[in-house]
Amino acid sequence: MVAKIKVLLSKLGLDVHNRGLITVANELRDAGMEVIYIGNSFPKEIIKTAIQEDVDVVGVSSLGGAHLTLGGELIEEAKREGIKERLAFVIGGVFPPADGTKLKEIGFDGIFMPGATREEIVTSIRQIVSAKMDNSP
Amino acid sequence: MAEKKRTTKEILQEKLTGGKRIPLYNPVALKRLCQEFEQWRSTMVGEEDRKNWCVTPHTILGSEIPREMLYTPLSNPDFDYMQDLGHSGQEPFTRGIHANMYRGREFTMRQLTGFGGPEETNQRIKFMLTHGGTGINVLFDLPTIQMYDSDDPMSRGQVGMSGVAVDSVEDMDLIFKDIPLDKVTVSLVTHYPSNTAILFPMYLALAERRGIPWDRLRGSVQNDITLEEVVRSGPEYIPPKDCFRIQCDNIDFIRQNVPLWNFVTYNGYNLREFGTSGVTEMAVALANAIETLEEMIRRGQEVDWIAERLAFFWSPASDFFEEVARIRAVRRLWYKIMKYRFNTQSPRSMWMRCHVQTSGVSLMREEPLNNIIRAAYHALASVFGGVQSLHVDSYDEAYSVPTEEAALLSLRTQQIIQAETGVTEVVDPLGGSFYVEALTNEIEMRILDEVDEIERIGGYVTALEKGWLHKKIAEYFNNERKMIEKGVIKLVGYNFYKAPVELPPINVFRYPEGVEEKQKARLEKLREKRDIEKVNSALLALEEACKKGKNVMPYTLQCARVGCSEGEIFKVFKQAFGLWKPPVFW
Repeated sequence: MVAKIKVLLSKLGLDVHNRGLITVANELRDAGMEVIYIGNSFPKEIIKTAIQEDVDVVGVSSLGGAHLTLGGELIEEAKREGIKERLAFVIGGVFPPADGTKLKEIGFDGIFMPGATREEIVTSIRQIVSAKMDNSP
Repeated sequence: MAEKKRTTKEILQEKLTGGKRIPLYNPVALKRLCQEFEQWRSTMVGEEDRKNWCVTPHTILGSEIPREMLYTPLSNPDFDYMQDLGHSGQEPFTRGIHANMYRGREFTMRQLTGFGGPEETNQRIKFMLTHGGTGINVLFDLPTIQMYDSDDPMSRGQVGMSGVAVDSVEDMDLIFKDIPLDKVTVSLVTHYPSNTAILFPMYLALAERRGIPWDRLRGSVQNDITLEEVVRSGPEYIPPKDCFRIQCDNIDFIRQNVPLWNFVTYNGYNLREFGTSGVTEMAVALANAIETLEEMIRRGQEVDWIAERLAFFWSPASDFFEEVARIRAVRRLWYKIMKYRFNTQSPRSMWMRCHVQTSGVSLMREEPLNNIIRAAYHALASVFGGVQSLHVDSYDEAYSVPTEEAALLSLRTQQIIQAETGVTEVVDPLGGSFYVEALTNEIEMRILDEVDEIERIGGYVTALEKGWLHKKIAEYFNNERKMIEKGVIKLVGYNFYKAPVELPPINVFRYPEGVEEKQKARLEKLREKRDIEKVNSALLALEEACKKGKNVMPYTLQCARVGCSEGEIFKVFKQAFGLWKPPVFW
C-alpha cells in the first residue's frame, strides 16, 4: 500500500501562463494526491520548499521558452541537495518536439506536452513514484 | 439614507422598456406562420428531432447556449429593424460602426511580433510590413511583461522569450529603427496598467528624441487591470485598488497629451483564453469600462473625452455563429450603455471599436496544420462580425513562437479573406438571419446579466478583490477540461478522427542565441553613462507621486527620459503600494 503521494507544483520563473498547471493541480488532487501549489518560483526556492515539505514529486510548468535553462538549473539544484534520485521530477508546457528528448537527458522523469490527458499524467506520476520507491534503499 | 445605486441593467430596463416598438412582421402574417410552423413540426419533423429540438453545442471556450433546429420569424416576433439593428453606421450600431464598413476602410492586418532582442524584432516587423501588414503589434518578453530588468537574477534564462526584451528607452529605439513613428500605427501590448505606465513613456521619450510631436503618434496600449491582477501568474502583484488607479492615471495622461492614441484596450482576449466563456469575456470588459468611466467622471473629466477613444480586444473561438453574434451583441449593448447609462450624445462614444486575435487555446499540438483551418474560420467569423483589426494565430503556436513562414501564412489568411472571398463588399452579411438575430439577442441579454452580477457584488474592482473572477475561471476551465477528456467537446486530430500514423514534423521556431548577454551589456552601458543623480531624483519624485495620489505618468516619463530601467521603476511601485496576494482556486 503506497502512502498518499505528495506533489509540489510551481510555475517556473516568470512564466505568466498558469491555466495548465492549475488544471493539473486539480486533477492530481482529484486522483487522491496531496498537492501544494506555490505559484511562480525559481529553482533554488522550489528545491528548498520540496525538502521542507517532504514531497514525493516536484512538478514545474513552463510555456514561455525557459524550460531548458531554468529546468536545467532545477535538476542541478536537486542534485546538489541530494534529492534528485529520491524524488520524481516532472515538467509540462509548450516545447519544440526535440526538446522533449533534451529534457529527459537533463534528468526529468516525466515530460508532458500540450494535449497530455489527465489519465496520462496521473498514471505516469504514479509509476515514476513507485519506481523511485522500489529503487530506494 | 443614501439612495441605493442602480445597476446598469436596472437603468437600461427603466429607459428601454415601454418604448414604442414598430415590429417588422405584421400580426396576421405571424399568426398564420405560427399555425404553419406547428403543422410543419408535427408532420415534417421526426419524433427524435422534435424531442431534441434544442441542442447545445459544446465547443472550446463556448458559452453553452442551446440552439433550436430551425429559426424563423417566430424566434424574434417583435423584431423592430430600426430599433434593433438600424443601418450600418447608425444607432444602435448592431450592423457596424461605419456606414460603408470594409468598403471604406479594410480591417487592419495587425500581426503580433516580438521575440529575442530589439534587433530581431525590428527585422520581423519590417518583414511583415514588406509583405503587406498594415499595423505593428509589439509583444514583450516575460521579464519585460513582469517588469524585471534583463540583468535581474529572476530574469535569468528568460530574456527575449515569448516577446521582445525592453529594459529602457534604448531598446525602444532599436525596435523602431528605420520605422517612422509618425507614419505607422503601433500597438504596444503592454497588458498591465503598471507596465503601460513604465513602457509607454519610453515610447514617448523616443518620439521626443526623434523630434516627433506626440500629437502625431497613433496606436494603442492595453492598460487593463484584469490582465495584471487575474490573467497572469507572477511573483509579485500590487493591490487591485492601486492598479486600477494607475490604469486611470495612464488614461488621463495619454488622453491629455497624446490625443490620437488609444489609451486603453479592454482585453477580453487573454481572460477568455485563460478560461471563461465568450459571455464572461465581454461582461468583464464592459464592467471594467463602466467602472473606469465612473472614476474618470469622479476625477472631473467629460465622459465623451474618454469614451471616444476606448477600444476592446476579443477572442473569436470555434462556435462560428456565436462569434458573429457576440461581436454584434456587444456592439449594441455598448451603445445602450453609453447612450442610456452615461447619457452621451456623441456617436464616437457609442462605438464599440475592437481588435481581435483568433483563439490560441483552440489550436492543437496534434496535427498542427489543422490549426490553419481553425484560425481561418475564427478570422472569417470576426470579419462577419465587423471588427476593426485582426491578428490571426499561427499553426505552430503549440510548439513555440511562430516561424517566419507561419507568421506570413497568418498574414496571408487575412489577405485571402480581404482580396479573394468577396466578403468585405457587403456590410453585415449575416444581419437579418433569423438565427443570427435571435442569437445576438440572447447573447446580449446574457452579457448584461453578468455585468449585473458584477455590479451587485459592488463593482468590478471589488469583485476582483473578492476573487469572484478567479473562482469563475477555475470552475470554467476545469469543466471544459473534463468535457474534452470525455470527448463531449470534439477536437479533430486530438480526440476525434485521430491520424492512425505519425504525421511529418513541422518546422519549429528556435529563439536566437545570446540575447540575454546583449541585453545585459546594453543595460550595463546605460547604467555607466546615465546621470545617476537625475535617475535617483526621478525615482524619488515618482515614489512621492505614488504616495500622494498624483498622476504617476508624468513621473514615469521623467524616469524614462533620464534612463531609468523598467525594473527600477517597478520597484518604486512595489515600495509605494505594497504587495497583494491574489486568490488561487483549484
